[in-house]
Amino acid sequence: MDYRIAPRDERTQPARIVPGYPQTPWRNPREPLVRRAPTLSELTGPAGVEKRVQLLGGDIAGRGETQAIGQLMHLRVRVVDEDGAPVGGAVVEIWQCNAAGRYIHPNDDEHAPVDRNFYGAARLVTDESGAFTLRTVKPGAYPVPTKDGWWRPPHIHFSLFGKVWLSRLVTQMYFPGEPLNPQDRILNAVPDAAARERLIARLVPPAGEPHGALVFEHQIVLRGSQATPVQP
Amino acid sequence: MIPTGEATLGPFFPPRYVDAGANDLTQCGGRKAGGEAIEIVGCVRQEDGAPLDNLLLEIWQADANGIYRHRADPRHREADADFLGWGRAATDKAGNYAFRSVRPGAPAGRARHVNFMVMFSGLMRILKTTMFFPGEQANGKDPVYQAVPEARRALLVAREEAPGRYRFDLKLRGEHETPFFDD
Repeated sequence: MDYRIAPRDERTQPARIVPGYPQTPWRNPREPLVRRAPTLSELTGPAGVEKRVQLLGGDIAGRGETQAIGQLMHLRVRVVDEDGAPVGGAVVEIWQCNAAGRYIHPNDDEHAPVDRNFYGAARLVTDESGAFTLRTVKPGAYPVPTKDGWWRPPHIHFSLFGKVWLSRLVTQMYFPGEPLNPQDRILNAVPDAAARERLIARLVPPAGEPHGALVFEHQIVLRGSQATPVQP
Repeated sequence: MIPTGEATLGPFFPPRYVDAGANDLTQCGGRKAGGEAIEIVGCVRQEDGAPLDNLLLEIWQADANGIYRHRADPRHREADADFLGWGRAATDKAGNYAFRSVRPGAPAGRARHVNFMVMFSGLMRILKTTMFFPGEQANGKDPVYQAVPEARRALLVAREEAPGRYRFDLKLRGEHETPFFDD
């Protein structure tokens, strides 16, 4: 088998049960997870998911020519594996709330207004260099129904299909300098400070993007490596 | 490079991402996959037994001949071109899900099986498990099945509740908790 999946450093991944996140103690296993050596079954994975799902493109900043309310932003994302090799042809699903903090979803309550020019879902395929650009408006913060002062900071959700089954990733991306970041229970469920920092996009100068758009860059590293382990 | 940290799917995964037909693996691009059609159904519950609504499940499996449509499989050129091997379903209000698929063949060194992923609000990481088929001698020699403590192995074996219909209930925590894997 030419592709390897090695165990991750636990400190770079979120705790499964999170204080103050009331659903987590009901849904995460009590029994220890079972360690297994990956077989061909887990080291292969779906190719051509885009044949089964509808692609929506990466421009969700408005409807037609009408821009959604909020700060226009371009997000340049690069998807790589643990070798830093680009993961091209990967299906990426993206979802976010509008600038007021409201999702188009039956689970969202009516704490904030809907923007009729914003739906908040993009689905696309990475190019050969593992890159894609999302054109959107910056999501707002919103209160969590725990009603104890927890607000989610602005964030964007990602679901990605990598080269193999065990490369599958669901994650969230945050914005730099947000005052709600240091108290967010989901971001801070990751124990390692450097790993948390890697979940935060970087604000960069525009390079060809239109005037009036904030530009952010982000990198997502999927599990998997071709590299031969270093011999001692 | 260090893999990006996971996060919960949250409660707002767009319903349109569970595309119509994404839970039907028996056809691809309008052509019928080879092999025997089966159904895989189940109910997903949390610790207190409450069924979980709008939970996301994905499966990945070999085709009817035990071949993965992926270049890492040495036999991938013989894979069924009409079988994608991947599907997605969401649970309903009663916690129930359903897939249509074909009975996977046994891949080299493995018993026939279906890989599952569970994604949901409150799950900080994807939960991964594997469904095995009842009455298969090969289960006992399967390395993934064997990795599970003996007393819990039966929880990975589906029940054939009608001919060709397999029930694989998932309990995320507590009594009869489904074994989940850490890779």
